[in-house]
Amino acid sequence: MRSRRFSPLVHGALLALIGAVLLFLSGFVDELRTYQGAQVAVYVIAISSIVLLTGYSGQISLGHGAIMAIGGYAAALSFAKWNFPFEIAILFGVIVGTISGLILGVAAARLSGPYLAGTTLALAVGLPTLADQFKILGGEQGLNFDIGDPPPWIVKIEGSSFTQYKWFFWITMILALFTLWAITNLLHSSFGRNWRASRNNPVAAGLAGINVARGKVFAFTVSSSLASLAGALFGLLLGLVTPSAFPLSLSFAIVTGAVLAGVGNLAGSVLGAVVLVALPELSGSLATHLGNSQKVSANLPGLAMSLLLIIVVLFLPNGLGSAQLVKKLRSKLKTT
Amino acid sequence: MLVHRRTKRGKLAITLVATAALVINALPAHALNPYKAEGVTQSTITLGITSPLTGAAAPGYNKVPYAMQAYFNYINDNGGVNGRKINLIIKDDAYNPVLSKSVTNDLVLQNKVLAIVGSLGTAENEATTRFINDHGVPRLFINSGYSGFADQVKYPTTYTVLPSYVMEAKIMGQYIKDNFAGKSVAIIYQDDDFGADALKGFAVAGTKFVAKIPYASGSQADPTVVGKWIAGLAAAKPDLTIMFGVSSASAAALGGAYKAGFRTQWILGSVGGDGTTIATVAGPTAVGLLYGAIGTSFLPAPTDTTDPYVAQFQAINTKYNAGVAFDNNVLQGMNTAMLTVEALRAAGTNLTRASLLKAIAKSGSTFASAGFAPLGYSATSHVGYNGYWFGTYGPTGAIKPTGGTYTLYTTDSGSGAVSKTVSKRPAMPAKGLPNN
Repeated sequence: MRSRRFSPLVHGALLALIGAVLLFLSGFVDELRTYQGAQVAVYVIAISSIVLLTGYSGQISLGHGAIMAIGGYAAALSFAKWNFPFEIAILFGVIVGTISGLILGVAAARLSGPYLAGTTLALAVGLPTLADQFKILGGEQGLNFDIGDPPPWIVKIEGSSFTQYKWFFWITMILALFTLWAITNLLHSSFGRNWRASRNNPVAAGLAGINVARGKVFAFTVSSSLASLAGALFGLLLGLVTPSAFPLSLSFAIVTGAVLAGVGNLAGSVLGAVVLVALPELSGSLATHLGNSQKVSANLPGLAMSLLLIIVVLFLPNGLGSAQLVKKLRSKLKTT
Repeated sequence: MLVHRRTKRGKLAITLVATAALVINALPAHALNPYKAEGVTQSTITLGITSPLTGAAAPGYNKVPYAMQAYFNYINDNGGVNGRKINLIIKDDAYNPVLSKSVTNDLVLQNKVLAIVGSLGTAENEATTRFINDHGVPRLFINSGYSGFADQVKYPTTYTVLPSYVMEAKIMGQYIKDNFAGKSVAIIYQDDDFGADALKGFAVAGTKFVAKIPYASGSQADPTVVGKWIAGLAAAKPDLTIMFGVSSASAAALGGAYKAGFRTQWILGSVGGDGTTIATVAGPTAVGLLYGAIGTSFLPAPTDTTDPYVAQFQAINTKYNAGVAFDNNVLQGMNTAMLTVEALRAAGTNLTRASLLKAIAKSGSTFASAGFAPLGYSATSHVGYNGYWFGTYGPTGAIKPTGGTYTLYTTDSGSGAVSKTVSKRPAMPAKGLPNN
């Protein structure tokens, strides 16, 4: 049977259409939802970096929050201290994150499984606190910055309803869709095929002439580019980078998002991102209904996320975005 | 042929995007309207606060929002403000600016509060400034002494209540000059704007340090960090040691010094000098470590039941905040809540964000409050109190004014002199119910 041929152009057009619809819809939702939409877009990029690394290249990282911190700090520093235009600052954040990823990738290629997970975990714990050691990074308080108002030409077209949050949504959403398009293309190229071959059987891949180590370094570098882009956009969204903006829990959150999405499912990263943003709000509402006690409010979001993770791992190991769920629902409907 | 097909698809994609863009342009514009009348109905006023309820800085500060809520409930039971009941929505930011930004979004966009009151932390308030400014949300009586918040251009809707850390440090420097001339001094300080402000004030006062020990906010929970503080102090052997941090850091420093057998005359800043908080963090016996330390405050001592404000707030706390020990945090929370009620009353029945800000600028300096220093609110100043008194901690952790009377030192955040004054604060309104 001949499989349907992947067309980057059709895929790009589809994503452009989705983007246009989202831009259109952003005119109808309030500012809170717009801000949450931007958060979802940032998480889509961050989760995609894990999906690419773990799902396709077979490398486990528990320290991508640290790479986000590198991207975030580099972008913030270049914008706030060196007066780079914010577009260039984001690009600078990605370049610094990519170089860091390349260096880490060389080390990562020598490690595998729990050893790589442990090393990256140490990075997530230690790296953000480095900011405390350098005055230029603002210490514990971090770097506060404001990229200013949306460009006048957009405000002229859109009117004063075009708030900073709406602008952030446009930037993050467009970059998230572009990221999904670029990764999909990459995964359909020889690089993607080599990664999958190396993940499934490194020895066989080596015998087939694939340079497994080089492939791993490249995957780690690309994944770091994406994580640092997410970090730069995360900082932009907050108007702030501090060590506390990139805690260990952020690294865990994006891995959780990837597991919920299904680590081998790029499209599922959208679903994982939505869960990461929506679940704290839903559990907050539930806590209010339960009497809004301090202990319940503080612990319910973590509890809800943990329960969801356990349920997904036990019953839907391929993630919420997998076809498995649809099949299960269909068979359930048939039997009833 | 292939090229031709690709060009056609590209054109299709561009057409789709262009069409969508045109549709977006046709959407009606809903202007962002700062200062609009959010958070007010015929029967309610909704206010919000962000504060650490969890995390390293929570002990002590987690009592402030609930003390405010207790006072508002007392006001509600006595008719509310112009017939409206006050609803305070409390959000935990764990003393983390990232969370602070997120929960402030929720308060303004979801809960649609009229104003944010008493939000705590310098970095936490800084992080939300752009958003607060864009939406014209009054940010009243914030729990931070960072002198930068006095900048009305940068923070047009922000009103501070605490004297600035620059003022506190200048006053402390003068006190040391007057009472401990020639003694060597060391300082442990929080390494952010909080500590930077303090160093600025000490520089103006001419205080020289034999050791300056910065610490990252939150790191006081790490015993190895505290060990380094004490080792640094032991090496410098200061006669006096100033602790300019939060209460959990004070508790860690006092406890660490006691364990290491290090002796010094402690001087605690107002932020980190609450006895009950230190007892909560380090255990009930830890208050003994405070014995003999020098402290400073702008409010009366919470144990001074002869003070009419303290007596009234204690009575409200007993009924509306049952089971919570009355301390400086509760006193400060209730005082902030009382100022808020006075501001709401001053804004009149046609209550909006704009009328609220205008009312404080116009009559805020006349509001009754427990603070001994005068309130500096006017059309050109958003700064609250400007002075401190000094006292000594007893064996139970209670602070009493030096010499038995509250001697007030006042100054500004610039290079102005420090002077001793006698306070003339407005009398406590009958039953603690504002009548302005």
